[in-house]
Amino acid sequence: MNGALIEARGLSKIFRSRGLFRRGRAVQAVRHVDVRLEKGEAVGVVGESGSGKSTLGRLMLGLLPATEGEVRFEGRPLDQISRAEWRRLRRRMQIVFQDPYGSLDPRRRVGAQIADGLGIHQVVPAAEQERRVGELLVLVGLDPLHARRFPHEFSGGQRQRIGIARALATGPDFLVADEPVSSLDVSIQAQILQLLGELRRNLGLALLFISHDLPVVRHLCDRVVVMYLGRVMEEGPADRIFATPAHPYTRALNSATPRLDPARRVKRILLPGDPPSPSDPPSGCVFRTRCAHAIEACAGAVPELRPFGEQRRVACIRAEEFA
Amino acid sequence: MRWFLRRIATCLVLAWAVSLVVFMTLHVVPGDPAELLLSTGGIAADPIAVKELRVKLGLERPIFDQYLAFLGGVIRGDLGTSLVDEYPVTKEIALRLPRTLELILAGTLIAVLLGLPAGTYAALHRGGLFDRIVSGTAALLLAIPVFVVGTLLVLLLAQTLKVMPAGGYVPFAQDPVKHLTLLTLPAIAIAKSLSAVVFRMTRASVLDALSRDFVRTARAKGLSPTRVLLRHVVRNALTPVLTVLGLHMGTLLGGTVLVEYVFNWPGMSTPLLRAVEARDYPMVVGIVLTISGLFLLINLIMDLLYAALDPRTRAA
Amino acid sequence: MTRLWIPGAFVAAIILVALLAPLLDLPNPIRQDVARRLSGPIPGSPLGRDEFGRDVLSRLIWGARTSLGVAFASALIAGTIGTLIGLIGGWFRGLGELLTVRLVDVILCFPPILLALLVVTLLGPGAATLILVLSVLYVPGFARVAYAEVLSARSNDYVEAVRALGASTGRILLRTVLPNIAGPVLVQFSLAVAAAVVVESGLSFLGLGVVPPAPSWGLMIRGARATMEQAPLMLLWPCVALTLTILTMNLLCDALRDAVDPRTPAQRPRRRLVDRLVPGLLPPPAVEPERVLDLRGLTVEIETPLGRIRPVDDVSLTVRAGETVAIVGESGSGKSLTATSVIGLLPPAARPVSGSAWFGDRDLLRLPEPVLRQLRGGAIAMIFQDPMSSLNPVHRVGDQVAEAIRAHRQTSAANAQAQALDLFRRVGIADPERRLRAFPHELSGGMRQRVMIAMAIANRPALLIADEPTTALDVTVQAQILDLLAELKRETGTALVFITHSLAVVAEIADRVTVMYAGQVVEEGEVAGVFANPLHPYTRALLAAVHEADAAPVGIPGVVPQPHAFPAGCRFAPRCAHALAACAASLPALEEAGEERRVRCIRWAELSGAREAAA
Repeated sequence: MNGALIEARGLSKIFRSRGLFRRGRAVQAVRHVDVRLEKGEAVGVVGESGSGKSTLGRLMLGLLPATEGEVRFEGRPLDQISRAEWRRLRRRMQIVFQDPYGSLDPRRRVGAQIADGLGIHQVVPAAEQERRVGELLVLVGLDPLHARRFPHEFSGGQRQRIGIARALATGPDFLVADEPVSSLDVSIQAQILQLLGELRRNLGLALLFISHDLPVVRHLCDRVVVMYLGRVMEEGPADRIFATPAHPYTRALNSATPRLDPARRVKRILLPGDPPSPSDPPSGCVFRTRCAHAIEACAGAVPELRPFGEQRRVACIRAEEFA
Repeated sequence: MRWFLRRIATCLVLAWAVSLVVFMTLHVVPGDPAELLLSTGGIAADPIAVKELRVKLGLERPIFDQYLAFLGGVIRGDLGTSLVDEYPVTKEIALRLPRTLELILAGTLIAVLLGLPAGTYAALHRGGLFDRIVSGTAALLLAIPVFVVGTLLVLLLAQTLKVMPAGGYVPFAQDPVKHLTLLTLPAIAIAKSLSAVVFRMTRASVLDALSRDFVRTARAKGLSPTRVLLRHVVRNALTPVLTVLGLHMGTLLGGTVLVEYVFNWPGMSTPLLRAVEARDYPMVVGIVLTISGLFLLINLIMDLLYAALDPRTRAA
Repeated sequence: MTRLWIPGAFVAAIILVALLAPLLDLPNPIRQDVARRLSGPIPGSPLGRDEFGRDVLSRLIWGARTSLGVAFASALIAGTIGTLIGLIGGWFRGLGELLTVRLVDVILCFPPILLALLVVTLLGPGAATLILVLSVLYVPGFARVAYAEVLSARSNDYVEAVRALGASTGRILLRTVLPNIAGPVLVQFSLAVAAAVVVESGLSFLGLGVVPPAPSWGLMIRGARATMEQAPLMLLWPCVALTLTILTMNLLCDALRDAVDPRTPAQRPRRRLVDRLVPGLLPPPAVEPERVLDLRGLTVEIETPLGRIRPVDDVSLTVRAGETVAIVGESGSGKSLTATSVIGLLPPAARPVSGSAWFGDRDLLRLPEPVLRQLRGGAIAMIFQDPMSSLNPVHRVGDQVAEAIRAHRQTSAANAQAQALDLFRRVGIADPERRLRAFPHELSGGMRQRVMIAMAIANRPALLIADEPTTALDVTVQAQILDLLAELKRETGTALVFITHSLAVVAEIADRVTVMYAGQVVEEGEVAGVFANPLHPYTRALLAAVHEADAAPVGIPGVVPQPHAFPAGCRFAPRCAHALAACAASLPALEEAGEERRVRCIRWAELSGAREAAA
């Protein structure tokens, strides 16, 4: 296609649980998702539990094999490259995890863990590694001397910074951040978001920011993709989606988010019931079982993710009526 | 329901695997099995006797046929005959098994009746005198081998103090009191490890349950301490104890052999040990299969009890 | 650490003696001397002679050599093979797992001694046979340990991170999985050695283990048993040796296990003792009938390995009937502990050391437990954060709600179930009849929290304390629950204390707010006032960190101080943009700052004035 750094087309992932004597249950985590990122673009993927957003992140990095569809990095499909090229590609795409306590090996010094990427891909000669690790630590707002310490000596926010430093070690063009601030205190969340924003600007990183929290992605991301039960409900520029959400789910999500300023509050749309199970999704539009505007047609075909206004796409056959 | 069937199926598969392993043991050893069985003390065996034994054990046939015959026999309940006196193995086992079962049951009962309350109390009063004394005792009990306990019990109570008989057996129908008296010491010996294991696991499990959120909720509801303890703490603490009980039964079954020997309790150990010494392979195989089968059955029962106690297992 | 070194030293000593046996000047352990059989201690034989006239001490030491030799050899072989099998099975999963780990699990279906006897029948007794069969017996243990470690390492984010970096399988196994395996494998090794000693001695006792005349403790016991009546003491020596060895090995195993998987040793539980003042010494405050809860100067102390800490320090709070008071703070602020103190459910290591909690005319902190218990779940109810772990997984939810009802009212079981059904309807649980009989794991997060709320309101509480009830829930479900709480409050006029870390939630549901930082109250007042015009620098900074305004959120530099390292002065000073030397010098007091407003900052007026002037 046209210059997209990384692009997913028709991406699907079905997890089957199998065991001796057990009937396989298929969890449809991601279904026919298209996502694309340009160089240096930040896209937020927002959804609640069961939306498939974390799986999507891993699929795009190639950490999970896709059941259907493909992911192309700079135009080349990931499932068709050789193993050696695969390893080389790993340099250019990295991940930051949600849990700052689980994402670092408790038995190794943080400097060594940051240097892993340097060593595997020989980014710099071995003699230079220590200096580079120090530079990376400074880049994320820590002291180079911290390289000698162990993870348990750091706070949650600091560990998250170390995770970011490790991801940046190989000089990636594409970074997946899987709920990197959800486990942190509010005041620390803002610190990390500021950091990510700066790094993105200074290093020209493409960022896929996964979150369950709509307001968090607002300042950091150019575009937002809203997912529900494995499918994309809506996507478009972040501020437009915030200001005028088009899909009924996005509108409900938006209205459910608590707000400080009474002036900003939107009349609450309460979704009835619970989200259906990803192993047994509804036919047609997956959101129809909880949508106040569902009609018979919604149970038929899966609504197409179609253009809606400027640079926006919505998967709802009735979107225009609520505009 | 599906869970239940799955569990039974797993049990059957394991039973089959056990039979396979037992069968293969004969064929996996280097050298001719018949020769091995007949050579004692380094003296080579008489070739004619070896040939006879080979025919008797069916070793001349193709291995697959042997296995089918073996498996068929097991399913039918025919475990062959003793090499020593041609006595049907199954008959011997049928005679002896109930006595061994009685010992196991008695020992388990004692262990559970002692271990559960003691463990609960120790957990509730952690670090107190009771806890420290009983935990120390449990450590000691686990360390003393069961045959040492048995022998020392005989030395102390039978020989020195002369308060208990040294061993032997009298059928229950004949003299219930004497029967139970003779059962006491061996049952205690059998129970020694299991009670320590049950105590430790109960203690750990109750301590864990005490720190759980739902216990906090129970207390927040204003329930009486007794109710919190029984319905919430102990009730949830039971399941790990069941698991460890099932696992430990293997050791207990082995210990039964030793205890029966020390106390002259005429269970399965008598024919077993005699057969091992005489290299009476079919008898040994028959008894090993039976006891292993018993072990699998016990674990199945434990699993069923576990599922009855914890509804989450049934959902999987 | 002593737990490790003492048994370790014993075991090392035993091993050393066994190893050095040939070098020690011992009589020949197999040379018989029938003339002196069963003699007591004689010169040259401090422990006497056995039934064949052999020196007992010498046989004990050489027996150690045999037993330990067999045990170590089999443990080593089993360890090598088993760990390898577990690694392969855990890494490659699928068919590989089936062929390796599941296969060796079959060995676990055999009681150990029986498998040993089977092999002994075939191969005859002897040390070599024993080592063979013991090795086979202990392979599954190692395989399971290695398998479990590989699986847990694989699921760890940090292993995924290294995979994402492009590391090869070998590198991952070597650098991340193996180091984490070493500990548990070592523990398993020590367990295998101890178990092997037991099995070997048992078999030798039966005459089917080590072959005489080679010495072995089991054999010695066997021989001594035969001559038990003539020489009872002969029995004791090998019994003691065997028991002592196994005991010290077991203790070593336990200590190793703890060393490898350390958990903070929980403190000795302290009884919930608050100094009981003589009744009447401190009169209750003038009873203001509308005040449901009047918390004054609560301080909670906890004993930790690093010393005594006060995670709740001089906290005061008032709640009126029908009011919602929010306690907001980040981690380490002490907000949860404050709430659990009120209801008397502090963890055993914590206790309130000063302050009072007036509920009507009674001080909750000084009530005897039975009286407090009547209030808990009745007049004062609490909802917790994680509904999954807060419900008992083995009882049906209907029963758990009925239990709450029957704890406070005399009513039949059927009646309680009927009331539970009503409550389920009231809290909006769909299909309530069916749901009454459900288990917690069959319900979604939102529904479980509704069940918790039903339990809490069952006895019409005057005060409801909610500790982060929506933090673990999805946004849309959170909205449902908040809505439900608001509705219930309207219906019943219950006072609500709502603990949260989210300022936005506070703004939506609370009348008044108390902001906590590092165990202390730093600001409190009416929500609208506090959020429109925050007086404390922390409150201001917290508001600026929220992702709502058009401007990007701004974080607060630094970290929350740990309770054992609270600054002497203002606890927020190290992170405060407006801090002066005076701030760090001494702890500021909570000052009145207008109607129903209080702030803990010496510069609040000055900073507020400066802002007004600038505006």
